[in-house]
Amino acid sequence: MIRRGFQVAARLGHHRAPPGAPGILPRLAPASAFGSSADSLVSRFCPEKTDLKDYALPNATWCPDMLSLYHEFLEKTKSGGWIKLPSFKSNRDHIQGLKLPSGLVATSDKTDWRIFTRCIQVEGQGYEYVIFFQPSKKKSICLFQPGPYLEGAPGFAHGGSLAAMMDETFSKTAYLAGEGLFTLSLNIRFKNLIPVGSLAVLNVEVEKIEDQKLYMSCITQSRDQQTVYAKSSGVFLQLQLEEESSQ
Amino acid sequence: RLFSSEKLTQRDHSLPNPSWSKDLRLLFDQFMKKCEDSSWKRLPSYKCESSQRVQDFKTHFLDPKFMNEQTVHGQLFTRSFEDGLGFEYAMFCNDAEKRIVCLFQGGPYLQGVPGFLHGGAIATIIDATTGMTALLAGGIVMTANLNINFKRPIPLCSTVVLNSQLDKVEGRKFFVSCNIHSVDGKTLYSETTGLFIKLDPDKRLK
Repeated sequence: MIRRGFQVAARLGHHRAPPGAPGILPRLAPASAFGSSADSLVSRFCPEKTDLKDYALPNATWCPDMLSLYHEFLEKTKSGGWIKLPSFKSNRDHIQGLKLPSGLVATSDKTDWRIFTRCIQVEGQGYEYVIFFQPSKKKSICLFQPGPYLEGAPGFAHGGSLAAMMDETFSKTAYLAGEGLFTLSLNIRFKNLIPVGSLAVLNVEVEKIEDQKLYMSCITQSRDQQTVYAKSSGVFLQLQLEEESSQ
Repeated sequence: RLFSSEKLTQRDHSLPNPSWSKDLRLLFDQFMKKCEDSSWKRLPSYKCESSQRVQDFKTHFLDPKFMNEQTVHGQLFTRSFEDGLGFEYAMFCNDAEKRIVCLFQGGPYLQGVPGFLHGGAIATIIDATTGMTALLAGGIVMTANLNINFKRPIPLCSTVVLNSQLDKVEGRKFFVSCNIHSVDGKTLYSETTGLFIKLDPDKRLK
């Protein structure tokens, strides 16, 4: 049975507009056109010189666990193999010079847009996180400390806030591992609640890339791995961004 | 009762404010009309819940070691934004049919792919809506599973409708499903199935 919307657009060489969605999703170029190497994706994503504020840096609100694990991974970036991902206010800042395929642009550009996981600006109150990526293994690790404004049950992080942290880590991993752009599905099994202000470690792996989709898995645990907070899987749709035409 | 005076000083966020789009206001008015014969009820929403239910949670399930400075200043995630910037929503429940409708407008601080809502923001409002559906049926519950299929991206600052339904109860397990549609019902944005577990009164959370 043909699934509508995303799934139809993902079929290679599909020439009809998806039913019920004329012109909303573009025809996809064949897989061979996904030529951007991991290196070029990463270097574009992590600009060496920028005035943009990087939110993925330690601040006074980071708990000791988070700080020490951060420094452990920072060491790994020096010996190569791992990259610390910068985290800007908007995803637009990560894809400068690129744009969504024509037909997918929703509304006009507004400067006050923020990426969801940087929505709460007061340090320590919302999402405190940093993602490290290992290109050779298509793996990521996210150090996540939820603040008191992310509460669900009193004293614990809202299930949705963890779902968002998973989606965000999946999203950056999918993009750098294979130009994954849109979430197709998220399947989350919650095991234990994360206390506000404590460190949760998300380990994400790309399991396979098939049929223009990236399949990833994630396990979220305490630092000592004694407590599993959740296990999840995510599927992302590959969609190549276009160069912005110079005008 | 004991906590009602606290509520009087707290703002009910499930009421229109200037950031609400015309679509959202219209839908809200339509559902308020449905409330007139009491088949539907509007659910109030506060930043800091002080209801009996929350007090019960703190008394029975919370290990005192978790109560620290941070938890004292906690507030509900979906209400931690200034008007119009984050989650603008109102939930209406139909007790007889065991379902909830959530009218939702996602603001500019919920962005993912530029111009669209972040998958995680969508997951959050789904968790809130399905969670409420389970909670109304079962009391204090915890999300166990969420399985979300995203069909089409939701444009930032648009208004959508979440329809959540209690499908089945098995002991302490509450099975809920939820769809997200455009206002005119013609576009399906996502489909979700969820499982919530009623907390065991004999066990404290770790």
